[in-house]
Amino acid sequence: MVYVLGVLLPENQLTRFALTHFYGIGHKTAHRVCARFQIHDRCRVKDLTPTQLTSITAFLSSPSTAQPVQRVPLASPTFGPKLGPITPDTQSTPTLKPNTSGSTSLTNAKGGNDPLRNLKIETELRREIRENISHQRMIGSYVGRRHAMGLPVRGQNTQNNAKTAKKLNRIDRW
Amino acid sequence: MHPSLVTRSGRSAWKGPYFVAFPNLREALQNNIPIKTQARSCTILPNFVGIRFMVHNGKDYIPVQVTQDMVGHKLGEFAITKKRFTYKLTKNK
Repeated sequence: MVYVLGVLLPENQLTRFALTHFYGIGHKTAHRVCARFQIHDRCRVKDLTPTQLTSITAFLSSPSTAQPVQRVPLASPTFGPKLGPITPDTQSTPTLKPNTSGSTSLTNAKGGNDPLRNLKIETELRREIRENISHQRMIGSYVGRRHAMGLPVRGQNTQNNAKTAKKLNRIDRW
Repeated sequence: MHPSLVTRSGRSAWKGPYFVAFPNLREALQNNIPIKTQARSCTILPNFVGIRFMVHNGKDYIPVQVTQDMVGHKLGEFAITKKRFTYKLTKNK
């Protein structure tokens, strides 16, 4: 039994599929989240270390304020293993240290290239959807009208069925 | 208007939003005269706010008062084209 932010993740599932139990996280996003915390593809929920769990929880609770990704520079084409006796010296490590100057350009004020920066899940996402619908309703557009009528919005047929729209389309969806 | 609205519309950003230039825009705002138009696909620009439009719905012209929230939408979204079915008794049986 693993609960993350009140969502039950099945223990025996692979982590990247278990994360899709969150409303607003699909396969693609789940895979990205896993990659961010170095969780390998065959890792199941029960195999997660407490540190990984807490870091996932911390990230999902507020993706916008989470720590930016640490960028590690790639090895140069000329990079090769050093010959000679291997000594645990600290001289060879600086070449692969996180490039601070590069990471600042990637994570600018708007989140830069970070696709998970604007991630919204669960209540936050639901609220956004509700706000969008109520905005349409307030200005009296066609979309808002169709939501109020409980009918399809995007020109689907209504002679039969329209079941999904009848089930979902309303002003106060949640 | 939200800057990303153009890019989200599926239209090239360099083209900008699609709109029709109304020559009588300023008079309409001053004298509160409705602009009669058939351009339903015209995007509502920020300088349309406060103007009254008469938007064609295929049959007649529906009055639309543009407010700040409508910016970025199309004029046609506010003039419905569908008529609700109402049953009428047949006269001759």
